[in-house]
Amino acid sequence: MKDVEISRRRFGYLMAGVAASTMLPFPLRAASAATGGSAVAATFPGNWEDAYRNVLTPVLKKQGFDLTIAPAMAQDQLAKIMASPGNPPYDTLLMSPGQMTIAVENDLIQKIDPSRLKNWSLLDPSFQGVYGPTVTVEVNGIAYNPDLVPRPKGYRDLFENPAYKGLVSWTGFASNTAVMAYTEIAKIYGKGPADMAAVFKLFKEHPEQLKGVVDSTNHQMTLFQQGEIAVFMCSTSNVARLKSLGLNAEFVHPETGSPAAPVNIHLTKGSKNLDAAYAYMDAAISQSAQQQLEQPPTEMFPTNKNVALTPAISAYVTREQLKTLVYPDWAEINKNRDDWIRQFDTLVAG
Amino acid sequence: MMKQSGFPYVVPMLLLSVAFFATPLAVLVGFSFTGNGGMTLDHYARFFGDAFNFRVLVNTARLGIETVIGTTLLGIPIALLYWHGGRNLRQILIFLTLIPMLTSNVVRTFAWIVILGRQGPISEALMAMGITGMPVSLMFTELGLVMAMCQIDLPLIILPLIAILSRTPYQLTEAAQVSGAGPWRILVTVLLPLMLPGLLAGWILVFASTSSSFVTQAVIGGARNVYVPQLIYREVGTLFDWPLASAIAVVLLLSTGCLLVALTMISRHRRLVGHA
Repeated sequence: MKDVEISRRRFGYLMAGVAASTMLPFPLRAASAATGGSAVAATFPGNWEDAYRNVLTPVLKKQGFDLTIAPAMAQDQLAKIMASPGNPPYDTLLMSPGQMTIAVENDLIQKIDPSRLKNWSLLDPSFQGVYGPTVTVEVNGIAYNPDLVPRPKGYRDLFENPAYKGLVSWTGFASNTAVMAYTEIAKIYGKGPADMAAVFKLFKEHPEQLKGVVDSTNHQMTLFQQGEIAVFMCSTSNVARLKSLGLNAEFVHPETGSPAAPVNIHLTKGSKNLDAAYAYMDAAISQSAQQQLEQPPTEMFPTNKNVALTPAISAYVTREQLKTLVYPDWAEINKNRDDWIRQFDTLVAG
Repeated sequence: MMKQSGFPYVVPMLLLSVAFFATPLAVLVGFSFTGNGGMTLDHYARFFGDAFNFRVLVNTARLGIETVIGTTLLGIPIALLYWHGGRNLRQILIFLTLIPMLTSNVVRTFAWIVILGRQGPISEALMAMGITGMPVSLMFTELGLVMAMCQIDLPLIILPLIAILSRTPYQLTEAAQVSGAGPWRILVTVLLPLMLPGLLAGWILVFASTSSSFVTQAVIGGARNVYVPQLIYREVGTLFDWPLASAIAVVLLLSTGCLLVALTMISRHRRLVGHA
């Protein structure tokens, strides 16, 4: 076979050609961008990400906007916008009051102009936040596999009934779902929701509970699928997702009450795509989008008054019951959270 | 004719290295010394002052070393098989080595959840052999994590070994056989010294990959087995303590760097070089 010879000059031309071709996507992308601009919306990974991409992206496309759904947990969203102040990677954030408080304190989000949202009046006043609309309320409780364990009554059962030994999974205090469960357990075994010493003592007395501690609810979902765990702290939408995958999963309202957290869309300070960001917010609280999002596998509680609850959602919680749910004191949680995270991680690592 | 300097051709690579490697690294190091009142060693003092952090550092080094041992024990026979094998066997081995590398680390990690789980093949095999009467899960154990890491990082040691052995004449073993050496002696006194540069390269790659493998550590190790990458993630993503996270990252970098220097020094040892 004839050897291929290449001179230095030709090699240089070749490299220049390669470099030029790698730059080609940028002008092409700019040329094909939507006329109305584009928004990058941070969304929780998994169920939320899929749902928002499938339901909201087409709505915005019709209005002439590009929507990029960027999956990130609320705490990660905060970390990323703190890392680049003035040039935020997201135009909007999705978070619960716990992270919202930190975002407000650090001047990372801005108050919204409700007049730019056509569907604003369709929200209950309690869902009309000055920093953005509430798109759903996450109702938390206990997920369990009926094939492996009996139905738990509440948190106490998980520690005191031997049927659950080695089959319960927990996560650290970085997770909102976990922190809400721990504040409830602190009420049961301690002096009040902030008495985490009682919770740590409880875990020390039940070392088998520490074996199943993992990093996130997403890991728990995977382990639940594999039959590695039978119980974990969850939201109703986690259970809806598991059911949609054909798994035998049930949701339990703990006898001491179900902790709940509103989930809000916030406008990032320094967002350069306000029109697209507002269009996305408005789409998320619209009747048509919320009707789709309350269907399986997401089953998100609708905050738009015109959306009737499905039987499946009503089985978990009704609009009247929303007021009776447990809403944690996030200011108190945030004050202690760093310390709790470090203490719990040290305890888990033995 | 005057010989042309090759320096201009190196300039683009130098610029890229400075812009995308040296500068971020300098920023990271600088950040680890940043405090409210200017430069400080406080973050390093905090890291080493907490016994938990020190234990995490030791755990990470131990995980790296265990994986290096595991991959070495698995990699050498496979590399020798490649060396001994014909064209077809070599192609099959290269294919089997490279294919896992083409799949995402995340995919391989999640596959290991199935393998190590209560209903996985390991548990089933142990029950079938009567070693255990009930399902056993290797999830959230260091043994399970080392097994997964060995499989994930195996190509990193096989490929340098294959590269070294490909340049090694097969007649060397025949000469040793003629001189009366048995298989083990040939392996220990002839082949292993020749393979040493490849082994060292593989050890460095495997150790660096294992000690920074965040996803596998988090998913298979669980929260009970904490390693440095998880600690860094916690400080950045959860506690927003970037200076401390930078200090931890620098410590991880230095510990990996120390190992690299030590291995390089070993590889230049006169006796070993003499052997090879």
